[in-house]
Formats: sequence, C-alpha cells, structure tokens
Amino acid sequence: MTTVSVDGLRVSYGKRVVFDDLDLELGVGVHGLLGPNGAGKTTLMRVLATALHPDRGDIRLLGHHIGDPSALRQARRQLGYLPQAFGFYPRFTVREFVEYFAWLKEMPPARIPLAVDRAIERVGLLERADDRMKHLSGGMLRRAGIAQAIVNDPRLLLLDEPTAGLDPEQRVQFRALLRELGLDAVVLVSTHLVEDVVAACTRVNLVDGGRLVFTGLPDELMAAGGDGDSGDSPIERGYTAVLRGARTVPR
Amino acid sequence: MRRALRVELRRGTAPLAAAAMFGAGVWMLAVHPDDWGGRWAGLANYLRVSLLILCALMIAAGAWQSGRERRRDIDELIASTPRPGWQPVVVAWLAVTLAGAVGLLGAFAGAAVLVARVATYTGGGWWWTLTVGVLALAAAAAVGVLVGRLVPLRVAAPIAGLATYLGLAIVIYWDGNPAAWLSPVYGGWAVYSLVPDRVTALQAAWLVALTVLLLAAAARQRRAALLAGGLAVTAAVPIITGPGTYRLPADPAAVELVCTSSGPQVCLSRINAFLIDDVTEVVQPILARLDGIPGAPRRAADQAAQPAGQSLESDDGTVWLSLDYQSTALGGLVSRKSLRADFRQVTRARCEDPSGTRRIDQRVYRTDTLATDWMLDEAATPDNVPLARLRSLPEPAQRTWFAAYLDAAHRCDTSALIRLGEQL
Repeated sequence: MTTVSVDGLRVSYGKRVVFDDLDLELGVGVHGLLGPNGAGKTTLMRVLATALHPDRGDIRLLGHHIGDPSALRQARRQLGYLPQAFGFYPRFTVREFVEYFAWLKEMPPARIPLAVDRAIERVGLLERADDRMKHLSGGMLRRAGIAQAIVNDPRLLLLDEPTAGLDPEQRVQFRALLRELGLDAVVLVSTHLVEDVVAACTRVNLVDGGRLVFTGLPDELMAAGGDGDSGDSPIERGYTAVLRGARTVPR
Repeated sequence: MRRALRVELRRGTAPLAAAAMFGAGVWMLAVHPDDWGGRWAGLANYLRVSLLILCALMIAAGAWQSGRERRRDIDELIASTPRPGWQPVVVAWLAVTLAGAVGLLGAFAGAAVLVARVATYTGGGWWWTLTVGVLALAAAAAVGVLVGRLVPLRVAAPIAGLATYLGLAIVIYWDGNPAAWLSPVYGGWAVYSLVPDRVTALQAAWLVALTVLLLAAAARQRRAALLAGGLAVTAAVPIITGPGTYRLPADPAAVELVCTSSGPQVCLSRINAFLIDDVTEVVQPILARLDGIPGAPRRAADQAAQPAGQSLESDDGTVWLSLDYQSTALGGLVSRKSLRADFRQVTRARCEDPSGTRRIDQRVYRTDTLATDWMLDEAATPDNVPLARLRSLPEPAQRTWFAAYLDAAHRCDTSALIRLGEQL
C-alpha cells in the first residue's frame, strides 16, 4: 500500500537544481535514505515534512494532496519530523518541550499528558523528563527530538540523521524503536550509517546528484556489491557499487 | 491553548518580562511619589507617565520572544506542524502581555495599598485611564512580536525598545496636538481633570485595533490585518481631528471644596482633602497673623478649585495653594516650605512701567522681601536689619506697616513701597 507518493518533483535553490523530475513511492515500513553529502537527502526530507515548497511536483502524503491547504493540515497532523539541525528551547523541560509540540500538532488536549509520557519513555528519557533541555547531552537532545516527532503517533515519520550523537547502546535501542514504529507507519530515515539501514530498514533508497539511483531491499543493495568494491561490509560495498554505476550512466 | 500558554508563561520570555516590569514599575513609583501619593487618579496618571519606559520594555520583551524560533533554529520544525501560524504568535504575545501586565500591576498594587489608606476621592474615571494603560502594554508587546518576526537580528529587541522610548518622548512634546492622544503616554493633565469618555473610548478602540493589526501582520493573516487596519484608522481619525490635550475640564466632584470648621478657613479640593490636617497646620498660623489686616487674605484654598481663567494674584481675599505635587507616598505633605511659599502671591508687587514690561526696582524688591519675611514670620538673620527693626515695633505698628505695604502694592505705588522699605 503506497502512502507517500512523489511524482515529478523539482526543487531548486536559486539557480542550483537539487531535484528535477524525481519520483518516489513509500509504503508502510522503515525506509532508509542513503546518499553522499549534498545528494539532496535533507532537501527531500524537508519537502516531505512540508517545510519546503517544491518548484513543481505532485506530492501525496497519507492520501492527502498537500497542495490543498485543508488536506495539508490533515497530513501534518499525522506527521512526525526530526530535522537534521534540531533546534530546541533551552529553558523548557523535556516534558514541556514535547508537550508544546503535541499542542502544535493539534492533539486532543485530553490525550496529551499520556502521549507525552509515552513518547519520552520510548526514547528512554523518562528519568530526565523534568530536566531542562539545556542540561541534556547531545545524544539526549537527539532523543528528545525523536520524542517530539513521535508524540502524536505519526503515520509518516521523517528522521534526518536521528542516530547522530547516540552511543552504541542507544543506537541498538533506537533501531528496535524504529522497527516497532515501522509496523504501522511510514518511517523514512536519512542516515550515513549504513549498518543502521541493515539492522532496521525494510527498504533502502539511495539518492545521488538529485536522482534516485536505487530503491529496493537491503539485501538487494548488499548483493549489488562485489569483492572489488570498496567498503568494509557487504552493504558498504553495495553502496559504493551502486553509486559508481549511477555515475557512469549519462544523465 | 491553555497548556501552551502555561508553558510559555513559565519558560518563555514572560518571567523575565514580569520581573523587568515589576522592577521598572517600582523604580518609577519611587522616583516621583509626589505625582501619585494619596490620589487614585494620580496613580493611574502616573502609570501612563511610566509607559514611556514600560512600553519600551514590553516591545523589547515581545521582540525577544518572537525572535526565539529563528534564534533557536526551530522555525522549520514548527512550520511542519498543522496548527495555524497565528496561534503560536498569539500565545507568545499573550504570555508576554500577561506577565508584563501582572509585573507592572504588582508594583502598582503596592502603591495602591498606600493610596487606599488616605485617598479622599475615588471617582474621576481613573480606572479608564488605567485600562487604556494596560491596553497600551498589550499593543506594545504586539509591536515587539512583529519586530521580532520581521527583523532577524538579536539586537532587534534592544534597538526596538530604545526607538520606542525616543519616539514616545518626541510625542510628549506634541502636547496640545490632538494626535498626541494616539500615544498612550500621559499627556500631563492634572489629577482632577476629566478626560472625555469619547476620547478614552477612541483611545481604547485605537489600541485594540492596532494590537490586532500588528499580530495579524506578524502571523501573515492578510485579511485580518486589513480589517484591523481599517478599524484602527476609523478610531484614529476622530482622535486626530478632535480637541487637543489642553484645557481639559475639571471634575466637579474632585474639586469640590472641603473646608476646616474652626480657625481661619482652609479649603482643599476633595481629591486633595487627605492633606487638610497637614496643610492647616502650616497655613492657619499665617492666616491668623494676617487676620484683620486690611487687604490681607482671609482664607487659603486649593488652587485645583480656582475658577477657570482667574489669576493667582486676583484680589479676592484667597491665597491659592498649589498641591499637585505636595503628597508623599504615605499621604503626608512633601514640603512645608513650598506651601508657605504660595503666600508670596500676597506680597509680590505687580507693577508694570508704561512700556508694558515688568521691571522691578531693587528697592521695591527689598520691601517685598521684607513684607514676605514678616508675613511668614521668618527667623531674622543678623544681616537682616530691617526685619529686626520691624519686629521691634509694637504689634499694632507692625500690622499697620504691613497694611500700608499691601495698600501700596495693590495701587502699585512704587514710591510708597520704596519709602516703606527705607523707613526701617
């Protein structure tokens, strides 16, 4: 079942075209978004988060056409987003910060207290829930950011570099959380850490130079690599092989 | 909305705004208690005076609050949420406004307790003056919110505050121009003056419409901004084309005289009547000294109750006392000396030469001073020989000399005045 559909997407910053005629379809499950720096991962995330208006293209999120204001609002209610540059209010406690975003996401007031506690618990921050954000470490801030993204039980969750700053134990816990969330939601995770993709993602999308150069299962990406490709693991070898192949194809 | 407001009140700029407004309010009240002591209208007017500083603080607080999303790099995350953009704007504005108003009213509540102990007049519509002041704080916070949204600089808040202070200070000098009513800062009218209800209502409408206009502009709600802009213009036009801030009518109930029942009569307007014991203690001995001297005043009265157009020097047997700035915070008299000085209107020769200019002969001036010192029973200094000589005369002779002085001064007989001075 397709719940995110992008057709003919064009995005540019001034004269620099990031995407031109990109098509993408995502169903329920955890999708990894891979690509080198500057490939357009964050731009794609911002477009899907409805924070950036594309120049052109037809975008449907969870069945809502985001060109229509009322449908856009409906889609946003079911959206969770963790941007790459996660800003926060330092004087807010974790609980207040997540609560504030629950309000911004138009959650029914009666549901907010329980939902906030649940989201904070899921990211393992319940003991620090009443600490101010400015007193949290980098990894804890990232987890608070994930908590605000999942507080509304989103059906579309967009996480841009969610594991940056997490220690190995937290990354293992986070992957488990991703798998749990992906059971009934579309989860798109942009990352440079290919082992996260193998461990947690049901499908992989690879972008390079503004093009979607691979979409498939993690196993298929691993299979694309050979012994002669650079990389320390099968997925890294598959990643470099796909990129090398895509760059030899004329545009 | 309540949940978000509660968080903003605790963690946003609101606590800082409340503390700043409380501190600034206390400071302003401490600087000039003589402006507000013992009078509700004085306290409300003084709040409006304080707006010169307080509006600047509110604008800075509003700008700091609304620039927070950009400073904290969180605007993109907020843009991905479904809640209409005007709601977080309104919550942020409301938090700053409520906190600022509570901080300020907290400071003024302390002063209100002091006023309530002694105030002798509660009417005069001072609560409308106060209400317009609070609406002005809301409008100032809205200006700040708009500035914070439009100007992506950290220095926007302090610069906006400073610019507001300067702008409002300039408007104060428009005193008399009807456009000055558009500024919420007090126009300098007396505590017993009545601001017409029509003007107060238009000021309130203007400030409310302005607030909505600014918030709508900050939230990019074009239709609401146009509507509020239309209402703001509708309220502003009759203000600008109406009467100026000069010559407001006196509140008849506020200036109704309250008089002593024994001794030489001392009358104060009801709004200043809480000072009557202190004033009587200073004034009655002087009136008693003058009692029976032809041409001398027989009573003292509050200048607030003086008939419109009458000069201080009019010879109606009354000394007019200026009590506008004569109250301490606790309701006592600020200066006995300046109250006694009001009697100088009795001993001031008002002689003009034929050219129409008022040129005072030094010898006449010395005679005036001698008469004043005698009237006020000032202590004679060793170098004030004439006063010592006058005092050495028998009491009836002293009174005869003073009567002669008053007669000469009334007739403006310069040579007689000089002779009276030189005979001592």
